[in-house]
Amino acid sequence: MEKICGNSQKTKIVPYDLSEKFLLFPVRHHSPVCSYHLIKTITEYKPDIILIEGPENANFLIPVIADEKSEMPTAVYYYYKDTKKLVSEEAEDYKCYYPFLYSSPEYNAMKQARQLGIPAEFIDLPYCDILINTAGKKGLRKDVEKHSYADDSHLISRKFEEKICEATNTRNWDEFWEKYFEINGLFMTTEKFVMQMHTYCIIQRDGTTEEEMKADATIARESHMAKRISEAMEKYNKVLAVTGGFHSMGIYRLIKSGKIKSPRLRKIPEKLNGCYPMAYSYESADSLHGYASGMRFPFFYDSVMEELMKSDTTEGIYNRLTLDLLVKTAKESNKKDIAVSIADVTSAKTLMDGLSALRGIRESGMHELADGVTSTFIKGEKTVSSALPLDILNKFATGKKVGKIGDKSHVPPLITDFEEQAEKHRLNIKDVMPNNVEVPLFTAQKGMELSRFMHRMAFLDTDFAYMTKGPDLHGNKGRSRVREEWRYSRNPNVDASLIDHTTDGFTIEEACTTVAVKRLVGERRCESASQIAVDCFLMGITLKKSELDIIDDILTKDGDFFSVGKGMKYFETLHSLQQLYGFEDSSSLGYIKQCFGKLIIFLPSMANVATDRADELIIILKSMYGLTGNVLSDERDLFMHTLLAMAETDEKEPSVFGAVEGLLYAMDSARREEAEKAMRGYLMGNTDIKKKGAEFLKGLFSTARDIILSDNSFLKMTDSLISEMEYNDFMEILPSMRLAFSYFTPSEIQDTAREVAELHGTAKDDILKKKSIDENLFVFGENLDREICGIMGL
Amino acid sequence: MEKNLIKPPVEVRYADELALLEKYDTGKRPENWKLSPKAVRTFILGGKVKTADGTVEISRKFYGNDALVERCIITLAGNRGLMLVGEPGTAKTMLSELLSASCCGTSTNTVQGTAGTTEDMIKYSWNYALLLSKGPCREALVPSPLLVGMEKGIFARFEEITRTPAEIQDSLISVMSDQILNIPELADEGLVFARPGFNIIGTANTRDKGVNEMSGALKRRFNFETVEPVKDVRLEKEIIIREARNLAESGHIDMPIDTDTAELLAVTYHELREGMTEKGTRLDKPSAVMSTAEAVSVYYQTISHAWYYGDGRVDLNVMTENLLGAVCKENKDDLEKLKSYFRTAVKEKGNKELWKKYAETARKLK
Repeated sequence: MEKICGNSQKTKIVPYDLSEKFLLFPVRHHSPVCSYHLIKTITEYKPDIILIEGPENANFLIPVIADEKSEMPTAVYYYYKDTKKLVSEEAEDYKCYYPFLYSSPEYNAMKQARQLGIPAEFIDLPYCDILINTAGKKGLRKDVEKHSYADDSHLISRKFEEKICEATNTRNWDEFWEKYFEINGLFMTTEKFVMQMHTYCIIQRDGTTEEEMKADATIARESHMAKRISEAMEKYNKVLAVTGGFHSMGIYRLIKSGKIKSPRLRKIPEKLNGCYPMAYSYESADSLHGYASGMRFPFFYDSVMEELMKSDTTEGIYNRLTLDLLVKTAKESNKKDIAVSIADVTSAKTLMDGLSALRGIRESGMHELADGVTSTFIKGEKTVSSALPLDILNKFATGKKVGKIGDKSHVPPLITDFEEQAEKHRLNIKDVMPNNVEVPLFTAQKGMELSRFMHRMAFLDTDFAYMTKGPDLHGNKGRSRVREEWRYSRNPNVDASLIDHTTDGFTIEEACTTVAVKRLVGERRCESASQIAVDCFLMGITLKKSELDIIDDILTKDGDFFSVGKGMKYFETLHSLQQLYGFEDSSSLGYIKQCFGKLIIFLPSMANVATDRADELIIILKSMYGLTGNVLSDERDLFMHTLLAMAETDEKEPSVFGAVEGLLYAMDSARREEAEKAMRGYLMGNTDIKKKGAEFLKGLFSTARDIILSDNSFLKMTDSLISEMEYNDFMEILPSMRLAFSYFTPSEIQDTAREVAELHGTAKDDILKKKSIDENLFVFGENLDREICGIMGL
Repeated sequence: MEKNLIKPPVEVRYADELALLEKYDTGKRPENWKLSPKAVRTFILGGKVKTADGTVEISRKFYGNDALVERCIITLAGNRGLMLVGEPGTAKTMLSELLSASCCGTSTNTVQGTAGTTEDMIKYSWNYALLLSKGPCREALVPSPLLVGMEKGIFARFEEITRTPAEIQDSLISVMSDQILNIPELADEGLVFARPGFNIIGTANTRDKGVNEMSGALKRRFNFETVEPVKDVRLEKEIIIREARNLAESGHIDMPIDTDTAELLAVTYHELREGMTEKGTRLDKPSAVMSTAEAVSVYYQTISHAWYYGDGRVDLNVMTENLLGAVCKENKDDLEKLKSYFRTAVKEKGNKELWKKYAETARKLK
């Protein structure tokens, strides 16, 4: 460490003097050793107030986080809606987390203040002002998925990492930190530890330019923090400021110089710039999860903190905890069929002790533990699969627990409702591990209620649950299923999403209703509106008259035939399932009628629809046919007349024409002759017309496949169509023919095949038992026949 | 032992460094070890030693994973053997030699594992002339390296252990468990107890896994370390230069090492091994072993050619020919992959003069 912090002169710049009016205590977020020395400092210094680095608009949440009933990990969730475009021209929404663990010095500072009965305050700029003072793509405006206020990027300078590791014989910065600060730091005096922290941080600061610090708002934030400390010094005798080690130097210089130019704070309404307390998870707190929010292995370091608080001595804590974790890893590995013996554990422990002695560390840390597991538990080459014991170790050290907010008065009502409902349905939301739940839909009311709750959480995009099996009403699949299977897990995204929906209602149901209405208001297409109606159906949400009017309006205004057609299909689904799902809603029938009325008007003009949309049209036609045989029986005649009009149109898409003829035959068997006539027309045409015959058959069979089964005239025509085709032309129509026969059941296909065999004077057994001829050989034979016939003039 | 050998043993090659480290080693040593674990680390990974005459730099001999070396040292100080596994040419043997030489003062107490290795070669055999004339006695016994290791309290190295049939490998089990070797022919005098300091370092290629799998019982007696190829091109270049220089010295080739062409070769090997260029273009990986040791060999051949047949300067055409010989050994598809590398990756760097010339040598790939 002396190689890194050789210049001790620098440490004198930020003194650690307990007799001073103010004391700056440098910390790393989530570091137990920092918390340990901070608590010692608070005991010795006896401050009148503790100031903590953190956006000050969350000051009112300090008692909530420090509450006895709160269980870490928790976080303060900050949001800012930049409607005034103060941050950028894009008027974007911003959010970030400020996580707290038991090992966080900031949490311990709040807790100590509470125990001592002294005030604790955050002193950083409010969240919106930090953003306003940050340049694009810097600091809290970096292009990352999640932002953490507790970002360690200043402390972990990549510029120096290589040099630091080389000088200290460590693999990476984490190992360096654990060795010199977390473990060896426990055996130093607080003064020496603080000096070491200051020295290290000052070196890091020296490697950061003024421009960089200006761009990520460091300068503005430090000025504000210095101002708040100065203000406190006027009111209190002893002020303790707990800030990130990187800022200590900047703040100290500002206070000593007395020249503090704090940025002007903007007055932003609370609804645009606010914060909430929320439950957080160890998994998200792990620095590897997307952003450098703190240290890796949060559960392990929280355990260290717990031990430090219980023990009289710092001796043996790391050795004890790493041994515990080693044994747990061995047990879990054995459960997963990786043989780990007691001898392996003993050998790993010996190795860990030896490594810590070789590396000059007082006790074994996480890196020695990982080394021990690597050498002794992994038998053979280290590969992704054989390294499972290391994965197990990482999972244990990271932890899976989700925290809890004790004082619910500031918890968004949506989260409270979510927790209550989860408890009511006995869902496990105490950790982040994924769970599965089976939901019987129709056996008890409880099942349907749980299904609705899950659908609501999914509808709000909370990342809480997704359905793995069950009826898919959106895709119109698996409607006969009677149970749903869901996979769910609580993670900070769930809480964050629910906080984002805070303004949408006090309960999950209210929020879903609001979101559904918002989505409806923005919709212009019947298809999308009907999908939202399906969502509401699944969520058990009844829309009010005014909200139903929105759908009504969308249906009226939508001029897209296919959108209306698909919408009608969804409304039909809802209407047919309402009794089964116990969701009585008369509105769907009205929408069906409305859609049908619109479709029937446009139908004649759709006869010559583009080929690529013909299949969609046929589905709509079939749906309309189904409805006129059921809920819209009064419309059957009108539908039939419309189909006749389509059939009589000059230009017709062949498959649509086939489908129309099929439907007409289904309604009136006398129409068979018309269908045969049409097919004959295709057969008598040239090759291109014949090819259309295949499309016609495809449409016909899709709506009336029994036409081929009742009489073999269609079969003969089909046979004739195929027989008269050239090989290449046949290959062209083959896909349509295959599709045409896909509407038949296997037994129907077998019967048809038998009849075709008879037409060609062969029998089923000949086809099944005789050796098949190679396709190319057959083609060659046919061509040879043709050539010979040509020469012979036959 | 004289130094004028093709490959002098580590303890001879680095005798000065070892002597210096031993002299100024203040750390605690496991019994019978020549150096303390800290000094062993310094010997292998390099560092500085404070002497009466000032600070002396110890050269780094193993590049790559420092933590692995530390684990190896501590393992050897314990009661488990050390098994180094990995792709061919990843310096497993070199590491085991370095460990043996620094801990025990000798790296030559070695069993070479082959398909023909027998239990006699692992345990002991007899001088049959003496056996016939004097009967089974200590004088007639021919100790194996394992027995020597046990008696002297030094490491026995077992090279290519997985080339040896599994039942022969298993003869190590009882020795490693009980630290005793029983020679029944010697009756009461036949029990050989291992002295402190004895241990076994095995090496095994992961490509030989299919030949002879190790039994679970034997695996349990070893700590495994996977030695991976060097990930850093810069380091690979350094290794090529250093090793080629050493080989050149021992071969009396008195020409300077061209660092630019060494870098060229290091990049080629690195990119082909990783299947990706530095700019992220995907490449087809050859099935041949693309180890640093192979790269050293290619480079040494190239400078040998330049020394004996050329003008003392590295000829890129010759280097490409040597590369071709090293890569296209077993699989004919490897030639296409190498050609494809020259078409894409080498041309990608064509703005540099040397790489442009290198690209022109692609015509040698036939």
